[in-house]
Amino acid sequence: MTRRAVRASDVARHGLLAGACVVVLVPIVYMVIASFKSVPDFFTNPYGLPSRWVWENYTRAWNEAKIGITLPNSIIVTAVSVLGSTFLSAMAAYGLSRRERPLAMALYLLFIGGMLVPVQMIVLPLFILLRTLGLFGTLFALILPYIALGLPLGVLILTPIAATLPRDLSDAARIDGAREWRIFLHIILPLMRPGLAAVAILNGVWMWNEFFIPLVVAFKPQSQTMPVGIVAFIGTYSTEWGLVFASVVVATAPLILAYLLMTRQFVAGLTAGAVRG
Amino acid sequence: MAWRRRYDHVWFVLPGLLFFAVFIVYPTVSAFGLSLFDWKGIGRDVHFVGLANFAEALSSWPFYRAALNNLIFFVAILIFQHTVGLLLAVQLNARPRFMEFYRTVLFMPVIISLVATGFIWTLMLSPNIGFINPVLRDLGLGFLARAWLSDTTWALPAVIVVQAWNLLGWSIIIYLSGLQNVPQELRQAAELDGATAWQGFWHVVFPLLSPSFTALTVLTFIQIFRVFDVVYVLAGPLGAPAGRTDVLGTLVYRTAFGAGAMTSADARMSYAIAMSVLIFILMAAICAGLVHTLRKREAAV
Repeated sequence: MTRRAVRASDVARHGLLAGACVVVLVPIVYMVIASFKSVPDFFTNPYGLPSRWVWENYTRAWNEAKIGITLPNSIIVTAVSVLGSTFLSAMAAYGLSRRERPLAMALYLLFIGGMLVPVQMIVLPLFILLRTLGLFGTLFALILPYIALGLPLGVLILTPIAATLPRDLSDAARIDGAREWRIFLHIILPLMRPGLAAVAILNGVWMWNEFFIPLVVAFKPQSQTMPVGIVAFIGTYSTEWGLVFASVVVATAPLILAYLLMTRQFVAGLTAGAVRG
Repeated sequence: MAWRRRYDHVWFVLPGLLFFAVFIVYPTVSAFGLSLFDWKGIGRDVHFVGLANFAEALSSWPFYRAALNNLIFFVAILIFQHTVGLLLAVQLNARPRFMEFYRTVLFMPVIISLVATGFIWTLMLSPNIGFINPVLRDLGLGFLARAWLSDTTWALPAVIVVQAWNLLGWSIIIYLSGLQNVPQELRQAAELDGATAWQGFWHVVFPLLSPSFTALTVLTFIQIFRVFDVVYVLAGPLGAPAGRTDVLGTLVYRTAFGAGAMTSADARMSYAIAMSVLIFILMAAICAGLVHTLRKREAAV
């Protein structure tokens, strides 16, 4: 290829990629700008910067759109569910990684089969089950199903990793008299760290954003997470777009920040999840 | 003691299995059971009706309309992912300058919730306060401006574009990881043989990407036939306007809890469960067929 041809294809490549980036970034930037606008500003000035930057949108959203309640809820639900399902997946993966043992293969397939079950199908029986257990109105109505729904992916990613860990390590520890439990906590778990990060990221993004289960089981702000809280708010104040977007920014910013700080881990985690899932 | 050694691994599996059994296996079994009854969701008025719920779903027009909308949705997103997504992945794989920046930006929508995505685009598409119509007018394309989400022809395409924006990153992630497994020497060998870049790509590289093609097709199928959030936020539980954007997800939700937000008078829980079981069975069957066909295609190349 001549130098000129190389340059032309380079220009085309950068044009394509930059164009796609603009399409991705415009709505995100627009969301941030919209969160600082006053209601009249939306009508008179649809795509400029705010004529006045209304920071009160955020303080008002904190109280009126109830993000002072739903943001802590989202943080608690996601943190507890991620920790719970990652830890239980790691335990299960360790137990299942010895496939020559009886039952291990059957249980592994059962867990993986859970990936096929759509939330839409189980959410209605789940609704009835949670109502019977008296968990409505508590965060456990979200945490317990999330822990369970995080397991199939966790087991899928972690079992092959657990299977590659050298057996002599745990055998040596066993001869030293260490109990199985301590071997798992002090030897196995640290060795699985990259896999644990992938599972935590994939499940964490999903749980933070999940909308369907709280839509069905959480009716009051006290037990709602951010996505449902925002939808419920817009149902009552459908013209307060500034407050809605302040809430949307607060709901989105933590994930984007985490993504920008740990891009490499996110990309590795998402790749692992996409290719296997 | 021997028994303990033989089964000690089970103790590690047990806590997870307990959660799994209570919150996934039991609701699944329960869904299949409840689908055989007539029940509104509350009260003790429960009758066994056998397969009547399934028969009703299969002979109701809204069910087919929703399934058809899902199908249109799926085909459109599938084409988008396999063309635009692949094209962008190929550009990234050439490792241009600013590659890290491009990749970081292009993956970003994947972590943004569909609810947030839906709100951003509701506002952008709004005829009163949005910015897409004013931009079209300023570009001299004012005749294209319309009330996108209440237009019976354009509502579904608009919803599809919004979902495509959110999902684009997945196709790039999957194709990029596939491309990184294609040996560079293969392409160079093809180019030395006098093949053009396009021929080299089409005959040498693309066939090697068939595992990515399979993974992306199956992932898209599952994502789109379960689509709910975007439609709910952009068009509401009724799939407005006039059911033009109604999909299976919104149909099941509306049937289970009633169309009105505060009334559950028309709620039919067990019929909704039967529909979701039917969708699950159909999806599992189509998915198995899809995987089987695509794997055969992979083996053929």
